[in-house]
Amino acid sequence: MLRSKPIELFCGTGGVGKTTLATSRALHLAHEGKRVLLITIDPAKRLKQILNLQDESKGEIQTVPLSIFDYFNENEKTFDALLMSPQTTLQKMDFEMSSAPGKTVFDNPIIQILSRPNGGMNEIMAIIEVQYQLSTNHYDTIILDTPPGKHFIDFLQSSLKIEHFFDKSFVEIFRFLGKRFTKKGEKESKGLLGLIVSTGVKKLLSYLEKVTGKEFVNVFVDAIAALYKNREHFLSAIKFEEKLGQISFSNWFLVTSVEQYKIDEASNFHQQAIEFMHNDSFLAINKCLRPYLEDWYPEDKDFSHVKTSMLNRENKIKDFAKVHFDKILDFPEVLGSSPTQHVSELATSWK
Amino acid sequence: MDLTATPQLIIITGKGGVGKTSVALALTKHLKENCRNVLYSSFDQLTNTNLCENLEIPFFEITPAESAQIYVGKKLGSKTIASWVMKTPFFKSLFNMIPGLGMVILMGHIIEKLEKDPTLTIILDSPSSGHALTMLESSHNFKEMFGSGLIVQDIERMHEFLYQKQLLKTYIVCLPTLMAANESLELRESFKLLEINRVELILNDLLHMAEEIKDKEEELPDFLKVKVNLEKEVEAEFINNFEHELPHLSVRNEIEMINKLKDLVGSLC
Repeated sequence: MLRSKPIELFCGTGGVGKTTLATSRALHLAHEGKRVLLITIDPAKRLKQILNLQDESKGEIQTVPLSIFDYFNENEKTFDALLMSPQTTLQKMDFEMSSAPGKTVFDNPIIQILSRPNGGMNEIMAIIEVQYQLSTNHYDTIILDTPPGKHFIDFLQSSLKIEHFFDKSFVEIFRFLGKRFTKKGEKESKGLLGLIVSTGVKKLLSYLEKVTGKEFVNVFVDAIAALYKNREHFLSAIKFEEKLGQISFSNWFLVTSVEQYKIDEASNFHQQAIEFMHNDSFLAINKCLRPYLEDWYPEDKDFSHVKTSMLNRENKIKDFAKVHFDKILDFPEVLGSSPTQHVSELATSWK
Repeated sequence: MDLTATPQLIIITGKGGVGKTSVALALTKHLKENCRNVLYSSFDQLTNTNLCENLEIPFFEITPAESAQIYVGKKLGSKTIASWVMKTPFFKSLFNMIPGLGMVILMGHIIEKLEKDPTLTIILDSPSSGHALTMLESSHNFKEMFGSGLIVQDIERMHEFLYQKQLLKTYIVCLPTLMAANESLELRESFKLLEINRVELILNDLLHMAEEIKDKEEELPDFLKVKVNLEKEVEAEFINNFEHELPHLSVRNEIEMINKLKDLVGSLC
């Protein structure tokens, strides 16, 4: 049996069944008696459908009884699930703003808009949320269902971005906000480029103002200041990214599916992800038809063509897999219509 | 509202792995072979240029970073300043932290290209559903955020193109499972909230429509019969929701796939 670790990541290109497989892992571990939290960062909200959660539950931890799954009729066991909501995560962080009574980071229109579900800050807020959940020590294992493809790399890079953002750009901004340093008489002596360099951010902001309007620049500076006041939360997320590379801390499952013609994409993805993951990782191949196909001996010419093309598809994935991974996990296609049935059957494959 | 106008921008979206790229490439190839002035774009993802070249599919590729630099350059009237501005850690981080901003500028770029050449059609192989919404919602978000200024004027021009002239058409591609079908309907509702109304659904990879299988379903082995029946249940339940259907194709590789598909996507538009 596969040993569980504090963090387990399910990643891969889209539509391969990451969420279903991650949920089946949560179900399996909870069944074994572990305390499990399943977090989905996928904006497609598949977890919501599988577990039949309500939209209003976004950002709040939901307790899922194992009894909703077909083969796990145990009333007392549960696992926790969380649909990522950037807004809720932001609100959790927001206790550094007491200097302005009644005002929160959230009152800033820019932050408000960006932290909408499709505002584009999901990945960066997710890393903060995970770090927060880890610090509570409530769970033996936190399972992460990541957004598809390139967006997962974005997720991994977000901690680097955070560091970069607070490190470099804030030095610029606060140097400008802290004191004025444009001296008269300098303008004529320097070329345009030199002028921009010497006046730094003030000039940058004036460009921004030209393109975006003055009101925006004011709100923008406020938003930046609010983020800066809470920078400790952002910076603590960086520790998470460092830990992810440790074999004792994380299990990585790169998920792929035989339904896809995406060998190139999977291979590219793997190359990008490998700099973040350790070398003790798993490739999970989902929706395998091989067990069924190998028992099928069609006499009809058309049918054998169908069989060959389906097997061919699976073999290509396996050939790719063997080159890159020592540990390959096969999950058969589940021929059922209900999502809980899918999850239940897959959970038995983890044994 | 004129729903018959020839679309200049065709967005192909849906969950990952449902065949968006194949449909988008096949549609581009089909239109090209019918003498249309057409380009394929994979938006902010890397284009599989080898595949496009092999299939002689014309494409248009620009990264969000390049697009943003060109945009800033135009606004400030200097390419040098733009390249400098975009290289500062501050702006670099800003674009990294807020991918939506890059998406708006990239979308603006595509629309500008279409405005310059009214005969041109761009097939946009869009990011998967959730991120497609970020792509389309971002312009509204930034309009609200900026309030006024040059960006807002540009966004208004974008919106006029997308909404008033009805030159945008969107297809959601979906595999024949219950969950996928429900998700696609939800996505169409989200598009409606953004006032994107010309949205059609494509049920893809239908096994019972495969030329090797149709008329011979009875002879299939049990596991495939189960698959076919599950598909048909989905079809029956959503019969009024899906405008188009595409068969499962038994092929050896992507090239063969797109060459077969191009003859089937003609009915889409």
